[in-house]
Amino acid sequence: MIVLSEKRKREIEELIKKNYGADIKFEDILIKTSKNKLWLVSRDLKRIKLNFRFNSIGLYFGKLKRNNKIKLSIEGCQIIGPKATRNIVVLDEEEAKKFLEGLNVKPKEKIDCEVNNFVLVKFGEDFIGCGILREDYVENLLPKTRRIYLDIRKV
Amino acid sequence: MEITIPKNFERKFKELLRDDWEKLIKCLEKRPLKSIRINTLKISKEKLIKRLKKKGWKLKKIPWIDIGFFVERPEDIARTLEFFLGYYYIQEASSMIPPLVLNPKPGELVLDLCAAPGSKTTQIAAMMENKGIIVANDDDIKRIRALCSNLQKCGVKNCIVTVMDGRKFWRKGLKFDRILVDVPCSGSGTIITTYSIFKTWSQSLVLRLSKLQKQLLQSASKCLKKDGILVYSTCSMDPEENEFVIDYAVKKLGLEIEEIKIKGLNHINGLTEWRGKKLDRSIEKCIRIHPYHNFTEGFFIARLRR
Repeated sequence: MIVLSEKRKREIEELIKKNYGADIKFEDILIKTSKNKLWLVSRDLKRIKLNFRFNSIGLYFGKLKRNNKIKLSIEGCQIIGPKATRNIVVLDEEEAKKFLEGLNVKPKEKIDCEVNNFVLVKFGEDFIGCGILREDYVENLLPKTRRIYLDIRKV
Repeated sequence: MEITIPKNFERKFKELLRDDWEKLIKCLEKRPLKSIRINTLKISKEKLIKRLKKKGWKLKKIPWIDIGFFVERPEDIARTLEFFLGYYYIQEASSMIPPLVLNPKPGELVLDLCAAPGSKTTQIAAMMENKGIIVANDDDIKRIRALCSNLQKCGVKNCIVTVMDGRKFWRKGLKFDRILVDVPCSGSGTIITTYSIFKTWSQSLVLRLSKLQKQLLQSASKCLKKDGILVYSTCSMDPEENEFVIDYAVKKLGLEIEEIKIKGLNHINGLTEWRGKKLDRSIEKCIRIHPYHNFTEGFFIARLRR
């Protein structure tokens, strides 16, 4: 586990800006664990001596991938989404329902998207997860444990 | 559905509740309403209420908590977009009380000793506005997975999860401003939602758990800063798991009981005598919530100070 320096944090912020067009400044501590996973932790972490074993820490934000890409968790999407201006796909009701079930979907609208890149998936005013935009569909990246079967029109 | 109440359960609780025993039985006739707590780490109360009402939800405010609501809705409230997004947490109305009694503040160091599956931990995190640090511990690795998943879904950033026997937690040498000890218990207060309790409950289980609860409380008390607050809670109505444990905390651990004031909550005071055994007088400051008081699960809560 590595607590990222302020310099490294700025680099991650730059990466987010480049990938999603979002101007973001992390106020929290950013931690990198094995497999390049990034976690956000309250600044008050400094007040506690971490000299004990723990199972997990903070909020899983996303994963650094090769070629300077960043794959965001659902919560990462919810944090970045409202400030993002690019690599966003918008779904209609039927496709959103499929997305939440874990299926690949066809976007209703693409906002400044690059093919074969990670995209934020939006339905209505909510950012509901992350995917990869392929030529004519969005590859679903929702974790299996978060998939859900629902009828959006009824709920 | 026909419910068979074991004779030993009936005997004990008739003795404890006296005339109120009939009220308890009456409670078993229908199921209480489901309840949700709005996750203010992700959405404002006003915004979510507006969304849910637009979708035809009937919400009734839980009297003792601003962000808690009973839901009148036949469908599964766990299969909605808002639940998927972590905008609300499904939590029994009385289980929202221990964090209110603990009253954690942003920036504090808080320990939740028996945290899984994380209902109260996520509520504490919301009360702390994701500031400060919560150490959430449990000894059951399966339940820890549920805890981590709930923390993630609720957007909690200020929590460290540890897996260890709570009785040995004090060995870490950490000190906290506030500690929640929501111990494993027989669950006799949850009979209105979980009929299977009648099958698992026994006096020998209660006595075994009482011993464990004292050990957990002792460990927690060693982690409490001077003047710190410790809240002990169970979803049991058995005096051996409640007042007897607190009597031990007062007499052996040197903790002081504080008054609990929660607006809109019906309850009775802690017992100071049970089956001929006299307990510390200050135990009447603890609160007992029986299922028929608010038509929720039963709880026992004590607020202690070092």
